[in-house]
Amino acid sequence: MECEKVADEALQGEKLDVLYGEADAAARARVDSHLEACAACRDELQALRSLRRELRHWRVPIARPCFTPRGLMVPHWLAAAALVLLAFGATLGVSGYLSLSRALASQAARAAELERQQRESLGAMQASLARAPVSETDAQALAARFEADLAERLKSSELQQAERLDRRFASWQERAEVRRRVDMAQVAASLSYLDGRHGEQLARTNELMGYVLQASQKR
Amino acid sequence: MGRSDEELVEACQAGEAYAFDVLVGRWEDRIRGAAYRFLGSEDEARDVAQEAFLKAYRGLSGFKQQARFSSWLYQIATNLCRDRLRRRKTRPQVSLEALEETGPVIVETRPGAHERLIERDLAEAVRRAIHTLPEEQREVVILKEYQELTFLEIAQALDVPVSTVKTRLYRGLVQLRLRLETEGMRGRAPVPVPAP
Repeated sequence: MECEKVADEALQGEKLDVLYGEADAAARARVDSHLEACAACRDELQALRSLRRELRHWRVPIARPCFTPRGLMVPHWLAAAALVLLAFGATLGVSGYLSLSRALASQAARAAELERQQRESLGAMQASLARAPVSETDAQALAARFEADLAERLKSSELQQAERLDRRFASWQERAEVRRRVDMAQVAASLSYLDGRHGEQLARTNELMGYVLQASQKR
Repeated sequence: MGRSDEELVEACQAGEAYAFDVLVGRWEDRIRGAAYRFLGSEDEARDVAQEAFLKAYRGLSGFKQQARFSSWLYQIATNLCRDRLRRRKTRPQVSLEALEETGPVIVETRPGAHERLIERDLAEAVRRAIHTLPEEQREVVILKEYQELTFLEIAQALDVPVSTVKTRLYRGLVQLRLRLETEGMRGRAPVPVPAP
């Protein structure tokens, strides 16, 4: 048995609208009216509903997402604060490393210069000894004086180097502290700005709430 | 309440890159699901979904919102699937998933095993039946039955009139009904299942 209106495209389209819940009231009324009179269409619609239930058994397997998961969403202000702190840490690290490198290089140059001076002095003394032979006693006294002089010079040099190194470190620490304070001030300013934005909104909300309370009290 | 697709598209066009992330999160699963049903391969479906979003991102500045964003996205994904299916005809491939589906059947003895086997057979019969449909009918059936697009959205996605969509869908459903009857699968659904 076949529907008499099988060639009625509009009606066939409306049947699909009904099947998928997209029909408006008028279309639904037309289809219902036709179904009352047409057993073929009633059967067909019933069969299509049953088919749709069967089609739903084919499911998509659960798979990993196409894109890398981003994990926790961080608010923009927090990300900005983290960036500022990161920049601060990096600045501190790099400036500290550079400063320490410069101090060590400077100390190494000074040590090399002192060693050169000592060698020159030793060479001169050896030359004078070779030119003017002296008695064994004089030679021993001269050697003792030389050793004492050398020990004194070395001690003085070490003290000077230690003092310079201390001064360098003190200066570096001071600069690092100043840098840290400046960076912290910038971080605080950034956070205050962000807080301020929220604060403005809060203040505005409080103000509005105040108006509401005043209005309710007047009543 | 989140922003609508249209608002997110406008935000993207205004330079807010994060808005596109939201659109991806919203549509990723559905686009991948449609591609899987078109192609029958999870890996290819994932590739198509990535490619579709990439194309959409690149073309977003020229998107005028005359159609819905989802319809446009489905249009991109459908075209990508068509390209892949066309390439397959010239370079036939065998997917691992297809091999698995024809692999040995594991006999289950746990409670409910019989129902699960029936359901699996039915799902496989439906998959095979849908893949025997002509491409144009298969696309409409998948977009309507599984992606739950409206007729208008499908028409926009496939760039054809609504009447054509309905004709293709009707013919596809009739074919599926006959095919499942031939395989003896009609009326074997064990229990109603929730929407996929």
